[in-house]
Amino acid sequence: MSLPLNIDWQQILLHAFNIVLLFGGLYLLLYKPVKKFMDERTEKYTKIHDEANEKLENAKKAEAQMEEKLKSTQSQIESDLIKARADAENEAENIIKEAKEAKKKIINDAEEAATREKNRMINEAREEIAELAVKAAEKVLNEKTAKKENSNA
Amino acid sequence: MSKKRRLIFIAVWVLCAAAFLVSSLLIGSAQKSETIKEAMRDAVLHETNKISFFGILDVNPAVVSAYTVTFLILIFAAAVRIFFVPKFKEIPGKFQLLIEEAVGFFDSLAKSNSPHKNYFLGSYVFTAGTYICLGTLFELLGLQAITTEGHSISLPAPLADINGAIALGVTSYLIILSGGILGNGFKGMLSTLKEFSLPISMSFRLFGALLSGLLVTELVYYYVGLSFALPVIVGVMFTALHALIQTYVLTMLTAVFYGEVSEKTPKKDKKTRRKKI
Repeated sequence: MSLPLNIDWQQILLHAFNIVLLFGGLYLLLYKPVKKFMDERTEKYTKIHDEANEKLENAKKAEAQMEEKLKSTQSQIESDLIKARADAENEAENIIKEAKEAKKKIINDAEEAATREKNRMINEAREEIAELAVKAAEKVLNEKTAKKENSNA
Repeated sequence: MSKKRRLIFIAVWVLCAAAFLVSSLLIGSAQKSETIKEAMRDAVLHETNKISFFGILDVNPAVVSAYTVTFLILIFAAAVRIFFVPKFKEIPGKFQLLIEEAVGFFDSLAKSNSPHKNYFLGSYVFTAGTYICLGTLFELLGLQAITTEGHSISLPAPLADINGAIALGVTSYLIILSGGILGNGFKGMLSTLKEFSLPISMSFRLFGALLSGLLVTELVYYYVGLSFALPVIVGVMFTALHALIQTYVLTMLTAVFYGEVSEKTPKKDKKTRRKKI
């Protein structure tokens, strides 16, 4: 049976055989080796990319950890500073207090010493006055005695 | 080149061209061995001009073209495989880039249209694309062959013969069918068979597109008066562009249908089925 448009089964099969032949040949000679090369290269660069990403991720983690550490260190420093400041203030207050007490003690001691000196001087003056009074009395007496003796004589 | 020498060159060139043009128009063409009707009919049906295929059987010229194209492609592929592929570099040169682009284009076409089981499809569309593109461009070489009647004819594109187009269309359909069976088993086969018009449409699309170019080219070459400058435009329009367009169309269609039938359809739960009922 002849088909329209000169369709011929034998020639269709010859063409199909040719296509299959070309398919096998092209696959083995060109497509497979070139694709293999491209896939290996893609795999290599993907691996490099992944490794770079992993390193970047690790670096980011390390940075985050360092920042965390830095923050905790800063807060530690701040708390230490506050504590040191408070200690220093306490120390200063103590020193001032001690100084005030020392000052008070010195003043008290000085006042006591001055009082003692004053009392001592008063006592000495009293004694001198008493001595002078005795001496004056002795002198008056002596004069009176001498006058009496002269008058008696 | 000095201005004077350039003017002389242009003048000689124009004179030569004009001499050939005028003489060809004056002398006229030789007595045609066949009428335009016969030439067109033979271009479409290949009834008269047959070529002996290795002395075994008489075939249409397109069969010889097909085997010549395959032979040339395989020689080229073997040369590339032996001399170039082992020297491929990670940063490709121009030739390597060309080969990689060709493989990569069809590979990505297969991957984008058929995310499942695309390795086989990629290699097939690469073959089909190469065959259609180079087979169509092969016509431009104008290789001569002797018919069984002793005439000399220019070998046509392999797909300008309906038998060649049917072979490629049916092969593509069989590839799609294999994708359906691989991806979805019996269901995939049924969904592919449902598209029974596909091999016919693919075959006749290819045949029609290439035949239109062939007919216009035949018509242009039939008359000597149309043989100046016009064949350049016609050749580019109907051969080079057809080569690219038909390559893209057939490979794209094959990839799309392959992807469609090989895509796994999710199984419906019994509960949801019952609810629907």
